Amino acid sequence: MSASAIPAGPVQIGVEIEEQFHTEKQQRHAAKLGMWIWLATELLLFAGLFLVALIIRVQHPDAVTPAARHLKFAIGATNTAVLILSSLSMSGAIEMSRMGWQRGTVRCMQVTAALGTIFLLLKGFEYYKDFDEHMMPFLAWRPYELAHLPASALFVDDYYVATGLHGLHLTTGVAIVLVMAWQVGRPGYLARHQNRIEVLGLYWHFIDLIWMIVFPVLYLLNR
Amino acid sequence: MNGGNRDLALWPIAASAGAHNTDHLVWAFTLVTLMLTVPIFVGFTIFSVIYRDGRPAHREYKEKKGRSEAIELSWMLIPFALTLAFFAWGARMFDIHRHPPANAITISAIGRQWMWKFQHPGGQAEINDLHVPTGQPVRITMISQDVIHALYLPALRIQMETLPGRYTELWFNADKPGTYRLYCSEYCGTDHSKMQGLLYVMKPGDYQAWLAHQGASQTLTAKGRQLFAANGCAGCHENGSTVRAPSLHGLFGQPVPMEAGGTVIADESYLRDKILDPDKNRIAGYKQLMPSFKGVLAEEDVVALVAYLRALGPKEEGASAEDAPDRSTATGDSTP
Amino acid sequence: MSPDGTATPPRQNLPATLRDPRPGRTTLGRPDDYLHAEHTLRSWLWTIDHKRIGILYLLSITFFFVFGAIAAGLIRLSLVVPDGQIFTNDTYNKLFTLHGVIMVWFFLIPSIPTTFGNFLLPIMIGAKEVAFPRLNRTSWYIFMAGALFTMADLVIGGVDTGWTFYAPFSTTFSNTYVLPALAGVIVVGFSSILTGLNFVVTVHTMRAPGMTWFRMPIFVWTMYAVSLIFLLATPVLTITLMLLVMERAFHIGVFDPALGGDPVLFEHMFWFYSHPAVYIMVLPGMGVISEIVPAFAQKKLFGYRFVAYASLGLASVTFLVWGHHMFVNGESETAAVAFSVLSFAVAVPSAVKVYNWTATIYKGSIKLDTPMLYAMAYIGLFVIGGLTGLFLATLSIDEHVHDTYFVVAHFHYIMVGGTALAFLGGLHYWWPKFTGRMYPEAWGRVSAFLGFIGFNATFFPQFLLGYMGMPRRYHNYPPEFQLLNVASSMGSLLLALGYLFPMIYLVWSLRYGKRASANPWLAKGLEWTTSSPPPAHNFDEQPVVDFEPYDYRDREARV
Repeated sequence: MSASAIPAGPVQIGVEIEEQFHTEKQQRHAAKLGMWIWLATELLLFAGLFLVALIIRVQHPDAVTPAARHLKFAIGATNTAVLILSSLSMSGAIEMSRMGWQRGTVRCMQVTAALGTIFLLLKGFEYYKDFDEHMMPFLAWRPYELAHLPASALFVDDYYVATGLHGLHLTTGVAIVLVMAWQVGRPGYLARHQNRIEVLGLYWHFIDLIWMIVFPVLYLLNR
Repeated sequence: MNGGNRDLALWPIAASAGAHNTDHLVWAFTLVTLMLTVPIFVGFTIFSVIYRDGRPAHREYKEKKGRSEAIELSWMLIPFALTLAFFAWGARMFDIHRHPPANAITISAIGRQWMWKFQHPGGQAEINDLHVPTGQPVRITMISQDVIHALYLPALRIQMETLPGRYTELWFNADKPGTYRLYCSEYCGTDHSKMQGLLYVMKPGDYQAWLAHQGASQTLTAKGRQLFAANGCAGCHENGSTVRAPSLHGLFGQPVPMEAGGTVIADESYLRDKILDPDKNRIAGYKQLMPSFKGVLAEEDVVALVAYLRALGPKEEGASAEDAPDRSTATGDSTP
Repeated sequence: MSPDGTATPPRQNLPATLRDPRPGRTTLGRPDDYLHAEHTLRSWLWTIDHKRIGILYLLSITFFFVFGAIAAGLIRLSLVVPDGQIFTNDTYNKLFTLHGVIMVWFFLIPSIPTTFGNFLLPIMIGAKEVAFPRLNRTSWYIFMAGALFTMADLVIGGVDTGWTFYAPFSTTFSNTYVLPALAGVIVVGFSSILTGLNFVVTVHTMRAPGMTWFRMPIFVWTMYAVSLIFLLATPVLTITLMLLVMERAFHIGVFDPALGGDPVLFEHMFWFYSHPAVYIMVLPGMGVISEIVPAFAQKKLFGYRFVAYASLGLASVTFLVWGHHMFVNGESETAAVAFSVLSFAVAVPSAVKVYNWTATIYKGSIKLDTPMLYAMAYIGLFVIGGLTGLFLATLSIDEHVHDTYFVVAHFHYIMVGGTALAFLGGLHYWWPKFTGRMYPEAWGRVSAFLGFIGFNATFFPQFLLGYMGMPRRYHNYPPEFQLLNVASSMGSLLLALGYLFPMIYLVWSLRYGKRASANPWLAKGLEWTTSSPPPAHNFDEQPVVDFEPYDYRDREARV
């Protein structure tokens, strides 16, 4: 379906009640609560990694600081801005879907996915630079730049695990946003599943939030 | 073990004042917990007889306001307060166990898959078995060379984990001479359950005599033989061991088949390599279990060991029986 | 609706029916009950009905239990002789790892929540379904994928780390197939998270009109508490095991000192999950017993609110006591003392429940049917298990019995004596509801006795062994311990019969059992107001709740 065929709206919006629920309010409440709880467990998952980073930082400041200086501050900061913009466009999508502006919703979601992709590309470039600078201590066949500071390897490993896990979440998010943007473009979707956009929005904001923690904990705090 | 038939014993011997104290704590705590739980069992039994369905009984009850709350609170708080006394008792003993007295002698222990090595202040070393004097605080500092172990001395009611890369310690003051068990109590792999030995608690005079006997000067072969025993080689490489390790009797100068194919002659450099880097030349037909002794053995120790293994070579087959370390007599003591 | 098109006659006096469900209303074979709605294999494997998913879990965990139990039998067989001649040390180590991993992760943790919880939680709160039925099905598939993968690894390859996976043994030194086992356990963790999420949302959003929080049965409260533990603790386990995987596969040093890591960190992270996991196993058992005891005493549960709060209290305090597994690893003295006193505090909410059950049967009219016998066995064993836990929480006693058979006996009293017997008790209690059939009562009572006696015969000697100083996970043990080990092994034969009998006669009852009425025990609770087995959507009409839980007052009129 070509994008221009999507009506600008406003179209009718609503939620198709699933069998187990009695009211739309109940279903919306359950969906949002479910996503919030899921995100809380995700936050706990990441919290372990942040805690490791902070503990290493406290125990081995001499080793962590040089390692943190190898992180690309400029790329990290740019990525932070990119994700803030993507959150903004996701909020736009939610607002427009509430008003039934079908085409606007699709456009906003496409912008969101594009910004997410930009983030991933920048992140990939940063990994490449890390590789180039011999900052991958887990590669047994490649010398490690800070081999004289064993504790720094712990910090760098933690960085890869945390950002890798975040990247995985973001990739999943981009995929879901693209699929849902395509679905929203089809007639009748907003009338049946408007709340799915809101739930997806929660997830997207959460991924951004994680990055808002990753950036200061790994990039800023240790410089 | 210590006098009499221990096969039917249901309570371990206590060999220190601290151990007796732990026993007293356990008995007192058992008594209090019985006080708290017997009412439950009795209540259940009596109620299920009296109030059995179909049996006429007085079943009316009124819910007085606040009464059930009072009952709830009392059976929450009174047992808690009672048991807290035992927390305090246990914590005080724990505190004592954490602070060895200044006059304690220090024995160092090394845990390794799957043996204990103890070194006395005078330099006397022993494997798996430990000799200590009575009436003298003994502090054991320990470290592991590989995984987590734990040194457990049940007769003294005490244990401590032995961690890699970090020292831990325990101390005790034994007062009852005898032969007791010591174990590794933290699971550490294949032969975890063989990482045990005997704790000899001796009168101070006997202990001094034992130390003096251990300290006798030795030839290179004798030192190597001692190292062979002291490093646990005998535990696997002696005949009759359950770990399937190649016998070293008559090995020297003979070809050894390799896992990768071909053979290597077992000369001095081969033996040295096998001791320090056992992963390098894997032998066909054996699972590579032997730990590396790199950093464990000083160079002169390796020389002495190789000299001993050379003495075990084909020409001196008959001598090996006497040369074999006398682990068998040590374990013989353990049979009650 | 029945297939010939005639509507089921609506019941006019619904609230009254709810208050006083009529016994004797047999509905088995009614075409719209959940068991007979569809018969194809696909209708089972692709079902989103929470009841069918509960049954799927029941079959799965029974399957895993059998494997774990066989391993346990082989362990007891091998310990009949002191010098370990029956198996090699490596085989023995693989056996107890298989036993531990399967029993803890694939039987005990999912046991009651995924079977009774899935089946009963929505019914007990008067809902048609859980909040996310498709997610529920996904959880089962995730569980099966992870669990079967790990089990294949454990059976075919073998892992020798023990269920605790202590580093650096598991990351650097073990020569066995640790990685697949870890991967499977991580995957199963996600299934736990999704189940917990589903239950929390269901309890929050799906309660029937009038079903306030303090009208929910204790079983629902415990399910809620357990779900919170699933949600808060499992992510920590996931990240811990992932770090193990990283270290083992990529030598990213986290725990092994040789790679710059810290082995004690692993103990901390592991027990931060695994101690709450103990309450994942214990709390549902308490919930089941809190249903059975009032039903068979025909009396209101004593101190309902206290028991409900105690469930939440346990779920929160359990997060603060993980350090009591580490008193002898060089943990700081201050930490040890704090963890010790907090562990004593955990005993308080546990004790509340035991005393409350005792008070409940006071002046009741007690029927000693199979579920009640199981419940009484549970209480006896749980009390012993809980109190020996206090011994272990006492610092200087733990210095002696830590990692000995005393610990083994203690946690088997809690987990097997507690969870497994509560599971069997609940299974008998709700069997008529699940299947619409009654089991042979005499066999049930015999099995309950066998289970109780066999259990004590197996595990009581282990307390003595532990205090005498026999370390756990020992294949070769000194000869003076043989007598008690043989006694323990003999006891395990009785215990095995106690497990085998129910498997046989429950299956038998599916075909030959008497048809069950909607409420064979004259029990209270919404699950007994619907037919046995329940219709596909649980209730013919939306229930409206205007009564208190465990409302057995009408019994008093019969005095």
